[in-house]
Amino acid sequence: MKLAKPLHGTTTLAFIFKKGIIVAADSRATMGSYISSQTVHKILEINNRLLATIAGAACDCQYWGRYLGMQCRLYELDNGKRITVRAASKILSDVCFQYKGMGLSMGMMLAGWDEETGPALYYMDTDAQRSSGKVFSCGSGSLYAYSVLDDGYKWDLEVDEALELARRSIYQATYRDAASGGTVSAYLITPDGWKKMLGSDVGDLHYEYNPTQADLPLE
Amino acid sequence: MDFLMGMCCKDFVVVCADTNAQMSQILTIKHDEDKIVPIDSHKVMALAGQPGDRSQFSEFIIANVRLYALRNSRRLSTHAVANFTRNELATSLRKKPYNANMLIAGYDESCGPSLYWMDYLATLHKTNVAGMGYGSYFALSLFDRYAKVDMEEKEAVALMARGVQEVISRITVAPSDYVIKVVDKNGTRTVETISPGHVAK
Amino acid sequence: MAARRYDSRTTIFSPEGRLYQVEYAVEAISNAGAAIGVLATDGVVLASEKKIASKLLDTGAVGVKREKMYKLDDHIACAVAGITADANILINHCRVSAQRYTYTYQEPMPVELLVRGLCDTKQAYTQFGGQRPFGVAILYAGWDEQYGYQLYQSDPSGNYSGWKATAIGANHQAATNILKQDYNEGLNMEEAVNLVIKVLGKSMDTTLSPEKVELCSLSRSEDTGKITYKVYEEQELKPLLDAANQEKEAGTSS
Repeated sequence: MKLAKPLHGTTTLAFIFKKGIIVAADSRATMGSYISSQTVHKILEINNRLLATIAGAACDCQYWGRYLGMQCRLYELDNGKRITVRAASKILSDVCFQYKGMGLSMGMMLAGWDEETGPALYYMDTDAQRSSGKVFSCGSGSLYAYSVLDDGYKWDLEVDEALELARRSIYQATYRDAASGGTVSAYLITPDGWKKMLGSDVGDLHYEYNPTQADLPLE
Repeated sequence: MDFLMGMCCKDFVVVCADTNAQMSQILTIKHDEDKIVPIDSHKVMALAGQPGDRSQFSEFIIANVRLYALRNSRRLSTHAVANFTRNELATSLRKKPYNANMLIAGYDESCGPSLYWMDYLATLHKTNVAGMGYGSYFALSLFDRYAKVDMEEKEAVALMARGVQEVISRITVAPSDYVIKVVDKNGTRTVETISPGHVAK
Repeated sequence: MAARRYDSRTTIFSPEGRLYQVEYAVEAISNAGAAIGVLATDGVVLASEKKIASKLLDTGAVGVKREKMYKLDDHIACAVAGITADANILINHCRVSAQRYTYTYQEPMPVELLVRGLCDTKQAYTQFGGQRPFGVAILYAGWDEQYGYQLYQSDPSGNYSGWKATAIGANHQAATNILKQDYNEGLNMEEAVNLVIKVLGKSMDTTLSPEKVELCSLSRSEDTGKITYKVYEEQELKPLLDAANQEKEAGTSS
C-alpha cells in the first residue's frame, strides 16, 4: 500500500479568504535527486481569470494544462461567456478518469473568480478525485505546508497577511522537503482577475526569517 | 477509511457517511465532502471507495435515472434503481471496473422505505441494516442489539450517532467528520453532522 | 393520380403532405380480421375475428388455433390485425424489450413503455427509406403498478393511444360506434366479455363460432397480486357465442 502518492517534488497551495484567493507555489524541478531547474512556473495562467497549480509529472501537467486552456477558450467562443471553475475542473477530471491507471501523474488546483458565484477553488488529481474547498495544498511538500497554513489561516485575513501566510507556508515546506525550493511565487485572485504579487527566493527568505543564529529552528 | 451505515425502519431510512476527503492514507484534504448524493427527491446513494470512481459512477447512474424519469414521466422505484445500478456495475466489472461500494436508500409511495447494500463486485442485497468499511463492524452489532423496526426517527438517528461515537473511539484510523441523513415520505434531509475533532475556522 | 408519383416511397411526402405508403398500410388493416378490446374495472378483454380462408384449413393446428392473440409478458397481452407475418416480428420485439426491462430493473415493464418502444420501431419504418411499414395494428391489454388496467392501440404510422374500448381491423368504424353506444362506465369483466362478443358478432359477416373467434382476458387477483392471462377455450367460448348469435337473430327478426 502506498502511503503517499509519488508526486514529484513540489509544494503548491491555494486558499480562499475574505479578500480573494491566494495561489502560491515553489519553483524547483527535480529528476530523481538532481535539481533540473530552480525557475519553473508551477502556476499556469489558463486565462486572465483562471489559474492552475501543477504538481506531478511536468510533461503531463504541461500538456493537459495547455489542453485545458484550449478547452476553456473554446467554451468562451461557443457560449460567449467565461467558463466556471467548476466546469473547467470537470473537464480535466474527466480526462483524468478516462486515462486512469495509464500512468498519468498530476495533482492540480484550479482557482478563479466566477462571474455569478464568486471565488472558487478545486482540487483534482490523476485518480480522478475532484473536490471543491477553501484550503488546499498539493505536492510532496504539501504536508509541511498544510500545518503552517492551517495554523495561520482564518477567513478574514488581510491581503498582506494572506500573502505572508502563503509565502511562509511554502518556505517552511522548502525547508523540510528537498524536492521543493527555488522561489516562492504567489498570486492574488480578485473579481478583477489574477495578479502576481510576489516572487521571493527561498534562500533569501531563510535569512529574512532567521536573521540571527538564535532565530534558527532547532536542529 | 470510508464509513457508510444505513438503517431502514418502518417509515424512514437513516443513512450515515463520513465526510472526509483523503488525498492519501495520511492526508485529509476536506472535512465536508458529501458522500451521500441525491438520486431524486426520495432516493439517495451513499458511496465509498476510490474518489474518482465514486463520483464518476454516481454521476452516471443519477444521469440515467433522471433520463428515465424525463422520457417516461415516471420515476423508477428504489428497487429498480438498485437493480439498474447493480447491472451497470456488473457489466463494467470485467471491462473497466469501478471501485465503488454503496448503499442505496429510498422511499416509494407503493412500498415505503427500503435500503440496498452493494459492493464494488456488484453484489446486491436488500437489508434493513447495512454498512461499509471497518467502522461498520462496530456499528452493526450495536444496531443488531438496539435497532427495532418501529423506532421513532429521533431514536434511530440517536442510535446512528452512537454508532459513529463507537467508530470514533475504537477505530485507529477513524474519519473525523460525519453526516446523517433521513429519507422518508417527505423526501431527503440532513438531520445531523458530527465533527468532534475538527475546529472549523 | 397525383398519388402515383409519391406513393412508391414511404419516406417522401406528397405535395399535400401525405405519406401514401403509410396510409395504404393503415388501409390494408381495415380489411383484416377485426380485433376488439374493452377495459373493465377488474380486467381487460380482447376478442378477434379469424378469417377461415378454406374449409381444408386445420383450425386446431399451431399458428391457426392462436393466430391473433399473444402474451407479451406476464402482465401484457395483445391482439393483432393485419399481416400476421409482420405481426410476428413486432411481437418478438415486444417480448424481447419486456424481458430486457425486467433484466435491467428486476420489475415488470410499464405497459405504456412497451407500447411506445414498439411504436418507435414502427415510426422508423415511415421515415427511413428502402423498407415498407409494418402492416399491423395492435391492441394491447395490460396491468401495471402505476396505472392499473390499460388498453392501448397502435397503427402502422407509429401512433398509439389509450382507450376504454376500441376496435381495429375490418368494420372497425362500425364496431367503434356500437362500443360508443353500449359501453357503460365501470363495467366488470363479465359484462365486458359479453360486450366484445356482441360487437364482434355485429361487425362480422357470418355467425360467431369458436373456430372463427379468439377471446382472451387479463385480470389480476387482488389477494395474491398474480396476473392471469386467460384464453377462452372452445367449451367456454361456445355458450357465450351461441347466446350472442341468438340475441343477434332476435334483434334482426324483431
